[in-house]
Amino acid sequence: MNLTRRNFLTWAGISAVGAVSCKIPFPEGELQIQSPVRLPEDLVKGQDNWYATLCRQCPAAEGVLVRVMEGRAKKVQGNPNYPVNLGKQSARCDAGLQALYHPHRLAGPMSRSGPKGAGQYQPVAWDQALNTLGSQLSDRGQGLVLITEPLRAHLGLIVSRFATAFGGRHLGFQTLDDTTYRGAAKSVFGQDVLPGFDIAHANYLISFGADFLSTWGSPTHFSRAYGEFRHGAGRTRRGTHVHVEPRFSMTAANADRWLPIAPGWEGHLALSLAYVIIAEGLQAPGVDVAGLTGGRGAASLEAFRPETVAPRIGLPEGLLVLPGKDAAEFIRQLARDFAANRPSLAIGGDSAGAHSNGQFNLEAIYALNYLVGSVGAPGGVVFNPASPLPDLPAAAKVGSLADWAGVAEDIRGGRSKLLLVHQADPVHGLPPSVGFREALGREDLFTVSFSSFMDETTALADLILPDRVYLEDWGSDIPEPGPGYYTLGFQQPVVNPLSDYDPRSFADLLLAAAQEQGKSANLPWPRLRDFLRESSDALFALNRGSIQAASADEFWTTLLRQGGWWDEKGTGPRPGAAPRDLLAGIAARAAAPSYFGAADGEFFLLPFAHNTLLDGQNAHLPWLQGAPDPITTITWQTWVEVNDHKVKELGLREGDVVRVESAAGVSILAPVYPNPALPPNVVGIPLGQGRRSGGEYAAGRAAPESANVLDLLEDRRVAVSGALAWAGARVRLTPTGQSIRISKFEGTSPAREIGLSPSEDIFKTVSSNGAAGGAR
Amino acid sequence: MATERIDHKWGMVIDLDRCTGCQACVVACQAENNVPMNTQDRFLQRRAYEWIRIERYWEGEFPNVKARFLPVLCQHCENAPCEPVCPVYATYHNEQGLNVQVYNRCVGTRYCINNCPYQVRFFNWWEPQWPATLRNQLNPDVTVRSRGIMEKCTFCIQRLRRGELTVERREGGRLDAQALRDRNFGPACVAACPTGALIFGDQLDPNSAISPYFADANEHPHEEDRTTRAYRLLEEMNTKPNVLYLKKVDQYPLKQGEQHG
Repeated sequence: MNLTRRNFLTWAGISAVGAVSCKIPFPEGELQIQSPVRLPEDLVKGQDNWYATLCRQCPAAEGVLVRVMEGRAKKVQGNPNYPVNLGKQSARCDAGLQALYHPHRLAGPMSRSGPKGAGQYQPVAWDQALNTLGSQLSDRGQGLVLITEPLRAHLGLIVSRFATAFGGRHLGFQTLDDTTYRGAAKSVFGQDVLPGFDIAHANYLISFGADFLSTWGSPTHFSRAYGEFRHGAGRTRRGTHVHVEPRFSMTAANADRWLPIAPGWEGHLALSLAYVIIAEGLQAPGVDVAGLTGGRGAASLEAFRPETVAPRIGLPEGLLVLPGKDAAEFIRQLARDFAANRPSLAIGGDSAGAHSNGQFNLEAIYALNYLVGSVGAPGGVVFNPASPLPDLPAAAKVGSLADWAGVAEDIRGGRSKLLLVHQADPVHGLPPSVGFREALGREDLFTVSFSSFMDETTALADLILPDRVYLEDWGSDIPEPGPGYYTLGFQQPVVNPLSDYDPRSFADLLLAAAQEQGKSANLPWPRLRDFLRESSDALFALNRGSIQAASADEFWTTLLRQGGWWDEKGTGPRPGAAPRDLLAGIAARAAAPSYFGAADGEFFLLPFAHNTLLDGQNAHLPWLQGAPDPITTITWQTWVEVNDHKVKELGLREGDVVRVESAAGVSILAPVYPNPALPPNVVGIPLGQGRRSGGEYAAGRAAPESANVLDLLEDRRVAVSGALAWAGARVRLTPTGQSIRISKFEGTSPAREIGLSPSEDIFKTVSSNGAAGGAR
Repeated sequence: MATERIDHKWGMVIDLDRCTGCQACVVACQAENNVPMNTQDRFLQRRAYEWIRIERYWEGEFPNVKARFLPVLCQHCENAPCEPVCPVYATYHNEQGLNVQVYNRCVGTRYCINNCPYQVRFFNWWEPQWPATLRNQLNPDVTVRSRGIMEKCTFCIQRLRRGELTVERREGGRLDAQALRDRNFGPACVAACPTGALIFGDQLDPNSAISPYFADANEHPHEEDRTTRAYRLLEEMNTKPNVLYLKKVDQYPLKQGEQHG
């Protein structure tokens, strides 16, 4: 017998425990090696419970299961039944646990004890705090403004009715707000609720700007479909994805082809594709081209001939290595591929809609779906139904920049004297020129924050009434975009707050306050749970959908166990005909983007939502700060992405700090990251950092490590929608001579360059030609 | 106490054509396995711990440039280079195909990470610390590793053990693909992965989604003979990993010039 390592171990083990192992038949081969030392992992003890609820770390509100042991939440995992994410989750979902057990959670109610914005607060008792809230509501309630995160379903209804009862208004806050997209969806599809996309069954997908795999819309929902789009069971071919965006986003990195277009010209490219499809008669059978174009056919889009559009949209020369073909021919071929590989789908959002002409861009993009017959068809645009129960809002009400400027104006004019803020940080998320910080600093304004954590807006509040974290609270959601059928997700408390914390539910405080002030005619429920139970009984009475129950009580417990109710037969409205003259009308509204900022600026500034921190709402969660950015692998810092050759041309190196300036005196400092995939005239800066309040994880790093890119933006708006035109700024870069180390993951493990030699070829590809695209 | 154990041989398949680099697996793993918090300082010292990590590679130059995402975790090699070099038998191969680290045997020589071609072992340079409240989140099924010892991906052995205990010993069933997926007994990264790029299963279970790929790879030692996209990382080193990768499908390869499809 050869003495191999394993044999040696076996003999060593047997001699150590020989006497014992002769008597008791342990699994063969295990004990000998383990000897008396047992792996703790082998000794699983204790009972765990998994409770279904909703995640609130991003607006998509995925359905999750939370593992609870002995009263403590241990793990968040996707709810396999919930239609939005079907068991999948994003990196953000897990971090709900860190919010729950965060060392910087606000423990209880506090009242301001120093000057506004000084951050001096003293704890007060709940009775006293609620008395203050009550007296403020009765004295200044008229004209109050209630600012929340984008809300739907029960809490959406409560906040909206509460604001109305006091003669005020409610607005949802989103830093990169989707009002332009909502406007485009309304005018192209006639829908008030955002549509969904059947990416899983599409064959060809063109996306414009929308970083839908990372942050845009419902990323986990889309990502799950994207996996199916590539290699789903039952597919005969792999889907093809083309992404059009000036910046190399995570979605661009995953596309089969990325087209770096000049910022703001997405709509022109879309109409050029439409022109080719119509001129060459490539539209899907049955598409009423005459109806779309006012009877004029391709002539209505004459201004968008590829020959006219190609020179304007800035596609880089080197990209077009088509032998004997030019950029116009490239556009024609793209249109032919899009039309031929049905079902094909066009989606747009993010930076494509964040220019002065953003609404035109998005309308042009979405109108393409009519030409290929994808509206309301499998593999195309899916319409979502309104709420299954009357009154419950299925669409979030989100404020545009015009709305926020109006709020600031009302505060300055003394028309709004009371501001209630819940899980929204407009002071951090609006360009400084809107003047929100100054407005909130006014002495004649009383601000109540219901935030569980300190943030920039809460730091200006007069009274802080910390809400429960969502894993401790009731709630609900109608997902938007939804799966295309009735879905009502339910959120239940999975644990109690730790004894150190004394939060109270925001919804219950509003209901109690309305009661006390005699404004509860439309808010008759003592607590949110009562309202949820009432809705459960109403769903039971509908007698349809995912829950079969003998009694209303059984229905309620099943509802909570499943994490919600859905009905696949309750699909959205059937698509009507396209609006008359849709394409001709959009073409008539065509406009070039107008840029702002530094007139002599060499670079376009493309801000973007951070993969895990989003706009900064998750900046206090260390797992999400420490999760590397997918493209740059940077953690814990702000950075400026600049084309790698451009960096050399400027005489800079990674980590060199530059001043990014959009106007005289309007600048931020940030370190440079050389990015090989950025156009030479574009710089990208993530949102998410630059927080000044919220504890060491969110705000523990000063400039230049942490900066808020929104500080560079002006009050420039998208035509029609009034949203912030956040993608239209031009900036200058000036070296400062300072340099810092970039905290990135790249380089932590010795990496091997692709293709250096065959033995080091660790990332392998197969050409789709060789494997017929359907390779297993 | 002694019962017949059902044989398993765990394995993972990673489809590079599905992975989008979103980091969901990375955070899910840290939450499940009590991985110490990656503070900024740890990144600056290049000592961040990610039992599963996404490596990002660049290919080409602007504008014809691609970013490639490669998830890397412990490959659970059959011929594990980390195992023979451990002087105290802290790392060994168990009968289910797992490369296992016995924390309380480890004396911290770091020979194993020196010998690991995949760089998936992590040495605890510091005592792991969490703020008191965050300790409430720690998973009671997983040991918190102290300073001076090595740690690595376990394929979430605590979940597999809980699955065996529940499904096989208590219920008399089998921890098959359905039980792994529907009852949260599979690794946390696999459960999280939004696009389904990570697939986990039992190589001895013919109905498992991973089985055809392992059958193909085991039957055809030469990559070019295979009928699927399967390959192993650094296959020429003959470490025989229990993790397979499926090649990325490249519709517009940079090297062969422009093609339309």
